Amino acid sequence: MNRKVLGAGLALALPLLVILFANLGRDPHAVESPLIGHPAPPFSLSPVEGGPPVFLASLKGRPVVLNFWATWCIPCIEEHAALASAAERTGNDAQFLGVVYEDEAPQVQRFLEQHGKAYPSLLDGDGKTAIAYGVYGVPETYFIDTQGTIVAKFVGPLDPPTLEAHLALARGQKP
Amino acid sequence: MTPLLGRTLVLLALLVATTGTVVGFAIGRRPSVEGSAWTRRLAFAFAGLMAAANAVMLYALLTHDFSVSYVAQVGSRSVPTWVSFVSLWSSLEGSILFWGLVLGAYIAAATWANRNSHPEYMPYATAVWLACGAFFSFLLAGPAQPFHTVFPVPPDGPGPNPLLQNHVLMAIHPPFLYSGYVGMTIPFGLACAALFTGHLGHGFIRPLRTWLLVPWVFLTCAIVLGGWWAYEVLGWGGYWAWDPVENASLLPWLTATAAVHSAVLMERKGILKGWTVTLVAASFLLTILGTFMTRSGVFNSVHSFTQSAIGPTILGFLAAALLFSVTLLATRVDTLAPEGRLEGAASRDGMFLLNNLLFVLLTFTVLVGTVFPLVVEALRGVRMSVGRPYFDAMAVPIGAALLFLMGVGPALPWGRATPEQMRRALLPPLAGAALAAAIGFAAGARSPWTVVTLAFGGYTAWVTLSEIGLPLRQRMRDHNEGPLEAFAEANLRRGRRRFGAYVVHSGATLVIVAIAVSSTMGVSKEFTLRTGESAGIGAYTLTFLRTEARDEPHRQSMVALVAVSRGGKDIGTMTPRMNQYERQREPVGTPDVRTFPFEDLYLSILNLDADGATLSLHALVNPMVGWIWGATALMALGGIVALVPRREGSVAFVRAASPAAAVGTVAGRR
Amino acid sequence: MTRLFPALLLAAATATPGPSSGGRDATDGVRAVVGAPRGGPVTASDLDARTKEVAALLRCPVCQGLSVADSPATMAMKMKAEVREMVAAGYDQDQVLAYFERSYGEFVRLKPPLRGVNWLVWFAPLMGLLVGGGVVAWALRGPKDGAPRTTTSAPLDVDALPEDPALVPYVLKVRELAYGWPAGVRPKAEPS
Repeated sequence: MNRKVLGAGLALALPLLVILFANLGRDPHAVESPLIGHPAPPFSLSPVEGGPPVFLASLKGRPVVLNFWATWCIPCIEEHAALASAAERTGNDAQFLGVVYEDEAPQVQRFLEQHGKAYPSLLDGDGKTAIAYGVYGVPETYFIDTQGTIVAKFVGPLDPPTLEAHLALARGQKP
Repeated sequence: MTPLLGRTLVLLALLVATTGTVVGFAIGRRPSVEGSAWTRRLAFAFAGLMAAANAVMLYALLTHDFSVSYVAQVGSRSVPTWVSFVSLWSSLEGSILFWGLVLGAYIAAATWANRNSHPEYMPYATAVWLACGAFFSFLLAGPAQPFHTVFPVPPDGPGPNPLLQNHVLMAIHPPFLYSGYVGMTIPFGLACAALFTGHLGHGFIRPLRTWLLVPWVFLTCAIVLGGWWAYEVLGWGGYWAWDPVENASLLPWLTATAAVHSAVLMERKGILKGWTVTLVAASFLLTILGTFMTRSGVFNSVHSFTQSAIGPTILGFLAAALLFSVTLLATRVDTLAPEGRLEGAASRDGMFLLNNLLFVLLTFTVLVGTVFPLVVEALRGVRMSVGRPYFDAMAVPIGAALLFLMGVGPALPWGRATPEQMRRALLPPLAGAALAAAIGFAAGARSPWTVVTLAFGGYTAWVTLSEIGLPLRQRMRDHNEGPLEAFAEANLRRGRRRFGAYVVHSGATLVIVAIAVSSTMGVSKEFTLRTGESAGIGAYTLTFLRTEARDEPHRQSMVALVAVSRGGKDIGTMTPRMNQYERQREPVGTPDVRTFPFEDLYLSILNLDADGATLSLHALVNPMVGWIWGATALMALGGIVALVPRREGSVAFVRAASPAAAVGTVAGRR
Repeated sequence: MTRLFPALLLAAATATPGPSSGGRDATDGVRAVVGAPRGGPVTASDLDARTKEVAALLRCPVCQGLSVADSPATMAMKMKAEVREMVAAGYDQDQVLAYFERSYGEFVRLKPPLRGVNWLVWFAPLMGLLVGGGVVAWALRGPKDGAPRTTTSAPLDVDALPEDPALVPYVLKVRELAYGWPAGVRPKAEPS
């Protein structure tokens, strides 16, 4: 038995195996947002249908649901109904906003005419807002509380219960 | 019916491989002629069953038999026949099945080649090979079963991933990669056999070297073909991104290259036996690690398969293989006693050691960089990246050092060199270094590392060419032969291995220089053009003529016609395109590449308006990229030359520091 | 009716813009995150090169492993434009990277910053070099004092032939090829 060889071999092999085992089943695409618990980056964006720009700062005092989406994204279409009905139900209590990600205004307007427009969608032509929020892809939804702090980020299509739970967080309630 | 046949064949292969493993180890411990014959029969049976299972799958793919789960998953009636054919390895289960085919073929070939030789080693080697065969059969029988029965039978399938249908290289790259990856099993089995028997004599070094060099040639081609595929398909204008899966293919290549070199010292001096065996084992283990990286879904890569169900199974196998290898090495490595010793650092021997140090260091660095994000994830729970800037910073100096070493090593004599000999050997090639650096500087190279790489490349090219010319000149002088005759006699008939090695070195020198030049001296621009508008890049003027729609059975394409002129002279039309595949939502771009002797013009569509009148174009002038592909072919050719068996009794040319060292060298080869 | 509510509130919101509305320049949001620009002004000819340099250190979030500088994806182009704007406004490399890291996390940095456990990834190769170099030096070391030197390293008589007669023709051949001695025997008149 050559102890040097055994020691060197195990010193290389065991850490490697432990690390690989520890990472099994992890989704390599999931990245936790570092913005959670921090003030939401300010923006002023124009709605798709035109009109004056919307300022995030002016919405303070109400929770904000900020949904990045596009018409070419199938999961976005899936979650659209859930977001729309929640927006209608909460009405005044929370502000829902869509931010259009890499899409053209005419397509978005056509989509909203077909599927219903319960809350404004804003254009982010130069992508600055998506960059400021650290959007990796669509759909991604940020939940901002009454103080303007991001309390949660959800990646992927929202279903009604998940949406409700996150909204409660934004309202300052315990989940 | 077909699925049942496939499942039966896979189960039989599992049975045969398991039996063969047990029989092989038993016969290894108590050798017998009859037992060896049975081990061989089981090896051939495994190869036959795997071939049959693959034939069944191929038949199902070509006849669109959607009752087979794998066909239902990747097949489609709308794709051309060649795409149906390559679907065999385009997705997870099929790729494992194909792995089985290649493994079977290798085992059969290695068994046949050694049917009358090395009876003490072969049963052990076969046992190890069939143990790997048993594992892959097990994957096919369970976690990655491609032969599930689908009912009701769907009328059609989705077809393979469009990126894989996009270029014919996808039909060529995977077979090379698997032939490289899977082939490392063979030298691993031989190395294990050497450890089990406790002998690694001169006679057994030859098959070890041969079966190491065969997968090495395939892997060399595969790595570069993968880069070529990325270059021709992905559209970003580069060929290597230090992606985890790219790294996974590089890692075993690095250790195998180190092993090919340490095997030379082992053969010549009877030393480094345990070390060579370790490198061979590492090459095999890194192929299994690569398989895990590609198929577990743990690594974020453009090349990886999406499913992750078999990740834990492969990791289990990796763990078993690692612990088996470490234990076997630790318990048995001392039986491989050295027959000689190293003499001096300033010699070819010393440079071989330095070569091994650098290759292993590069392997270690790439491995650490690839795995490190997982370490941080486990320790801190934070996602981080280790990307190209890190790998470039590490690999460029090590690569440049290896390039220089490729010149210094062969220039130095074996054994031990006097200061005078070192001056005579090492000074003249500096002319080559100065020449190459001057040419590069005149051509516009300003990056320090590029100039250094060019200088090292010139140095190594000088040494390599004079080493190729040396025996030739000797024969022309001593035997009054013409240059061609002398070349055939000295380099092809007599010193074939030596000549092959220098051909590989020439190719490797060109590859490294071309990589340095192409990654630092290119030009890249982005334009938005309306129909009829022009833009310039380098010496080229690009004019957007119009857009054409083309329909093929499996895809519709929007082709941008771009007229290209160089220095005012029209040189034709290039056609980058956007392809829309049936049943796939997002279009996939295909760049168009025009290759000139010293550079490529590379056009890729960034965006094309719906009416096809406005084109956003990514244009690049990439110097010397084409040289990488050509020089790799040279490397492979050199490997093949070195593989051609030597005539018995011929004498290799040896340049030694002194007649004494020559005697020592020859005496050491007993 | 319910549908009108948010729209009305929104109209009110837009009518009374918040504090960040006035005089917003292109990198306003950036200043709030990473402070005043620390780098000097950039000349137009430098801007492209500097942008490329910094963009090569950022991971394109929608790609796999490609940098913002390399990637042809739309999002990468937008990020490149943002980098360009920041560089033009005088932000230095660390500030640009810090800005992207704040929203995307450390994942966005392709070159691991030198902090915490990241030291390991930068110094592991150096450790490897030291350990490996040590092993090679040990392998090349001279024989220990008192240890007998093996025959291969002992000085050999240049003209001696091996004891094994089977090897003699090989040695002669080698000498013929390597030194040009006819039939492998040292010519009488050769000057040393």
